[in-house]
Amino acid sequence: MQRPDWAPETIDVERPSVARMYDYYLGGSHNFAVDRAAAQAMVAAVPEAPLMAQANRAFLRRAVQYLTAAGIRQFLDIGSGIPTVGNVHEIAQRHAPDSRVVYVDVDPVAVAHSREILAGNDSATVVQEDLRHPERILAHPDVRAMIDFDQPVAVLVVAVLHFVPDDDRPAEVLRALRAALAPGSYLVLSQASDDGRDEAERAEAEQVYRRTDSPLWVRSRAELTGFFDGFELIEPGVVWVPQWRPETPESAEDAERAVFLGGVGRLGG
Amino acid sequence: MGESPEAASGGAFARAWAKALWGTSYLPMTQAQLEGLLQRLTDLLAQTLRTEPLDLRVGHRVATELVAAHIASAEALGRTLEVIQLRLIRDLDLAGDDVSDRMARLLAAVATGYARALRDRTLDEQESIRRAAMTARAEAELALRASEARFRHQATHDPLTDLPNRTLFAERLAAAVDAAAGGGRRVGLCFLDLDRFKRINDSYGHQIGDRALVAAARRLSRAVEPHLVARLGGDAFVILVERSTGTGDVVAVAEAALAALAEPVLVDGHDVTITGSVGIVERRAADSSPDDLMRAAGSTLNWAKTAGGARWALYDAERDDQEQARQALSAAIPTGLERGEFFLDYQPLASLHDGSLLGVEALVRWRHPQLGVLRPDTFIGLAEETGLIVPLGGWVLAEACREAVGWTAATTRPPYVSVNLAVRQVRRPGLVQEVRALLRRTGLPPDRLQLEITESTMMSGAEEPVRALRTLADLGVRIAIDDFGTGYSNLAYLRDLPVTELKVAGEFVRGLRAPEAADERILASLVSLAHALNLTVTAEGVETGGQADRLRAIGCDAGQGWHFGRPAPAENILARVKEGAPC
Ligand SMILES: C[S@@+](CC[C@H](N)C(=O)[O-])C[C@H]1O[C@@H](n2cnc3c(N)ncnc32)[C@H](O)[C@@H]1O
Repeated sequence: MQRPDWAPETIDVERPSVARMYDYYLGGSHNFAVDRAAAQAMVAAVPEAPLMAQANRAFLRRAVQYLTAAGIRQFLDIGSGIPTVGNVHEIAQRHAPDSRVVYVDVDPVAVAHSREILAGNDSATVVQEDLRHPERILAHPDVRAMIDFDQPVAVLVVAVLHFVPDDDRPAEVLRALRAALAPGSYLVLSQASDDGRDEAERAEAEQVYRRTDSPLWVRSRAELTGFFDGFELIEPGVVWVPQWRPETPESAEDAERAVFLGGVGRLGG
Repeated sequence: MGESPEAASGGAFARAWAKALWGTSYLPMTQAQLEGLLQRLTDLLAQTLRTEPLDLRVGHRVATELVAAHIASAEALGRTLEVIQLRLIRDLDLAGDDVSDRMARLLAAVATGYARALRDRTLDEQESIRRAAMTARAEAELALRASEARFRHQATHDPLTDLPNRTLFAERLAAAVDAAAGGGRRVGLCFLDLDRFKRINDSYGHQIGDRALVAAARRLSRAVEPHLVARLGGDAFVILVERSTGTGDVVAVAEAALAALAEPVLVDGHDVTITGSVGIVERRAADSSPDDLMRAAGSTLNWAKTAGGARWALYDAERDDQEQARQALSAAIPTGLERGEFFLDYQPLASLHDGSLLGVEALVRWRHPQLGVLRPDTFIGLAEETGLIVPLGGWVLAEACREAVGWTAATTRPPYVSVNLAVRQVRRPGLVQEVRALLRRTGLPPDRLQLEITESTMMSGAEEPVRALRTLADLGVRIAIDDFGTGYSNLAYLRDLPVTELKVAGEFVRGLRAPEAADERILASLVSLAHALNLTVTAEGVETGGQADRLRAIGCDAGQGWHFGRPAPAENILARVKEGAPC
């Protein structure tokens, strides 16, 4: 019997997963030997890789803190990964306990893990979906149950877009998400960039990620800025992630080593 | 603490500690939160170093708290030990006699506690990610199985009624036959079809037709539970009766099915009445294959339908064999034509006045490669049913004309040739052209061709055939009514038809044995009526000289039958003519 296209995939833990590699960079142990081997290959090619991941995760934390302070109580975190440390609901709910969070990831293991972590949390949930199908995410009953799209929502697409090649039309994806948002909503983006980086290094990194289900697609600052189309960029705009509202001036030093560019935009009106 | 000097110097230490930890792993907190935490731990360590006896549990506690706060990496431990060793005593001014000794023991406790906590954390995380992978895999497998089941269901069920479809039925039938064959057990099939269902679609529309189908399907499967009911497509259903103990079992199922259909169905306010017909087959599984069973059930269903529907019919092997043989025979007609297996015999039509040969009737025979020479009554009916009579009759006509031309030289008064035309041939639009072309091609004079048609052909009332026959008659072709007296025998219409001759059916002639019999009187008035209409009369089936005499006495013009000669090849008949033998 031929498998029809709506039949689900099987789980393959013999292949490195970008979610678990990321956990490894952050110092977690939610990973398997294949993930560690791939992550170590990445570190061999780009020694700062763990620092980049940490800087990105710290950007995510500061962005969520900023949004919570700005009054946002609903978060849609797409490409949320393995809940290791410093998850969006933990950050948001620490400052605003009434915050509601929906995590979305394609990785079934990441989703299963999230589900276990979130068991018993009524204001956070997880759904397995692909960023490339925003209409499915927006129509998902669990998403609808948690998020009121008549109220402002923060959509987080952090360290995910570099897994969405241009062929998959990331700009259209973001436009579709934007169309569902109420005025006063936010978009948080970050992604790996090759601005000012060594060509050979990028090639090696791409080589490593080709082993995974999510090949790497780096972009320039201009491209990332373009993704904020329709949003007003919050100061300081699209910058190396350590430079985005740093806690101390020192923590923004050597920012371009972080490789990740990030920014936050607000939907006016 | 607050403004105390230790706290102030402790602040410098905690900041240095925080700086040392930077980058060791992701620390999910602000710099201030980190420094706050480390400050508290610094105070604990300082307190412990100052207190006698040395409480090593504090070393463990500090380590555990670090790991719990996600300051949990080998690097973080190394740097922590380094910072404490290098700076804690100096920054907090903790000098004392045995301070380096106490410090070594405390550091050992921190390192031990940290390693233990880190290992536990690593193991916990490994366990949780493994569990997640297992859950994900189990979910994926479940989903796969569910989707496969759904796919399988779709592949094996009819989307309209959700009944099993032909595929599933075929599987189940094969399995049932297999299973029953070994034990010498019996299986049964009811092949059911809704009567004139097309009419329901036509009068209420397809939507209501579909709903009626769904309703019928539901009733059927409920009525014959637990037997499997499948929809084969359209309005055809089939019921599998496994473990039958005899015909009665399956007949009961068929009756239950028909009864379930009998109640009118209310669809959208329409009372739709559906009846069905069922073909039943029941036999030992070992004696049959699924294909055989299905075919037999299908034929049997046809019997129920031709008998008027709303009934069941039971398979009858003899009848089926006959039908199959007939079918095989009719299927062989085209090849037979192609291979020249057909040939003509001729039977004389003799004058009752002087015994001379007036004409011959062409009679087709089939030299079948397996069955030998077949007489027309074995295959003409079949050919008429299937429409093959058109090519076959066309061949007979052409062949008769071709042979008849050859007789011209043989005798001074060559006989005409009389050829039977079937209803379908007469109704065909091209008949006139066909005959005209034949006459032209063969050169046969039109008055040497006679076309025999039956009364019923003319009774249909259609204009077209009459016009065609009139055209042919105008050409000079003779038109005879065959088997007259067996149908309506309506003489009135003969007046308007281009008919030259009546052939009176043999039954009347057979009745001539008894003197002054009713048949004789009927024949006599028939003959005088025909003569009044300017028609000649030929009597068929003349078997004895006595019959011939009587017919002559009545005034009948010609006769045909064994008395005048049996059907034979053209040469034989012509030879007799030349010999001058009376027919
Ligand atoms: C590097 S992690 C980022 C985690 C988190 N957003 C952060 O920045 O800390 C990337 C995550 O995106 C997920 N991902 C990759 N492609 C995706 C897609 N097309 N749709 C949804 N998630 C995707 C991966 O499974 C992985 O968990």
